[in-house]
Amino acid sequence: MENRIIKNLRKDFLVEFRNRSAVNISFAFAGITTLSVSLATGGIRLQPDIQSIILWIIVFFSGMSGLAHIFIREEEEKTSLFLSLHSTPEEIYISKLIFNIAFFLVICFAVTPLFVFFLQALPVHLIFFILTVAAGSIAIASVSTILGAIVSKAGNSGTLFTVIAFPLMLPVLWISIGLTTSCFDPSVQPDCRGLLFLLAFSGVIISASYLSFRFVWTE
Amino acid sequence: MKTIRLLFFIIMLVLMPVVFYMALVWVPPAMGLGEASRILYFHVPVAWSSVLAFIMSGYYSIRYLSGNDRRHELFAYNAAYMGLVYSVLTVITGSIWAHISWNMYWNWDPRETSAVILLLIYVAYFSLYSSLQNRETRGRISAVYLIIAAVVMPFFVFIIPRIYMSLHPDVVFNTAKKSGLELSMKITLIASMAAFTMLYFFILGLMNRTSVLKKIVEEKQNDD
Repeated sequence: MENRIIKNLRKDFLVEFRNRSAVNISFAFAGITTLSVSLATGGIRLQPDIQSIILWIIVFFSGMSGLAHIFIREEEEKTSLFLSLHSTPEEIYISKLIFNIAFFLVICFAVTPLFVFFLQALPVHLIFFILTVAAGSIAIASVSTILGAIVSKAGNSGTLFTVIAFPLMLPVLWISIGLTTSCFDPSVQPDCRGLLFLLAFSGVIISASYLSFRFVWTE
Repeated sequence: MKTIRLLFFIIMLVLMPVVFYMALVWVPPAMGLGEASRILYFHVPVAWSSVLAFIMSGYYSIRYLSGNDRRHELFAYNAAYMGLVYSVLTVITGSIWAHISWNMYWNWDPRETSAVILLLIYVAYFSLYSSLQNRETRGRISAVYLIIAAVVMPFFVFIIPRIYMSLHPDVVFNTAKKSGLELSMKITLIASMAAFTMLYFFILGLMNRTSVLKKIVEEKQNDD
């Protein structure tokens, strides 16, 4: 099982490395939005809550543009049948989940310093800020993986993905924004319960997705 | 089965007017909030039913995926449809209550936000359901979406309002696990919850039977 998961992962990273479409789109989106916000504010230092809202909106839409891609590509390039012959649905799910988490962590940890630099949003509680970004990214990637699979089978990619993903990601965004605000505000002590919420949420989503993925993937 | 259904119907028919009498006449108004506080006996049961609809739609979806009986796909759809109606009613009654208590219809309180998320999930489910053309794919994929929605539902209905400070009153139990309601209020609320739960199951049962009949007619037409 591990062997096939690693092979699938290698294949996904290799394909992504060759054409870099998802990475390019996500980076370009995040970069353009961050620069636009910085330009629009004209260098004014924003309130901590506004800063965290903008950060997570950028992160959320970067994810929307790139995370569903991993399954949609299999359908567009008609490789999903070969993948099904090679691996079981559970192996496919695990490899795609790992890819999406790795992909989104890279995006987030590239976008966040850019955001911190251009919007002068220096976090007071740095370690907690890093943990928040990581936990939020994992939660978003976990939700996006199963929803990406659903959308790829629905044959209606872009708009439908945002429509079905938004309500399920809203709690993640809500908690992440609250946590990030406390990281920017020196008068507030960050609350670990939010981090636990994000990790528990990811765990529940991954478990439910692992058990139900077979029904989405198998025709 | 017919006798049980009839008995269920008679109990509901008796209980519902009793609940209305208790909520509107018998129970005293809450101190400081006046007659407007009576909306509590409708808002809480309706909100509870919208959560119940989530559980039922998740349950029917699991039954559909495990047994591949198309009736369960229709039942899950009906449960979600009822959930959508109840969520809209929750948001409306909640905003009326908010206007009375806080002088504004909407202020993104954690509980208000949770109610909206429930509503949005139902809307997303129907968007997904209508976008899938193939009947079998539609059944499987929409069932998975409902299961995932049912699994994450406790996070935003029960956990988030306890993480963030909420202006919403703890109507049944507060963090000290004590009810702030008088005995008569408690009895009325419990009776109202029971009546609305029965109403939910009664309407759901009717919708399910109609769906099964429609399916039979469709199959017969296809055979002819």
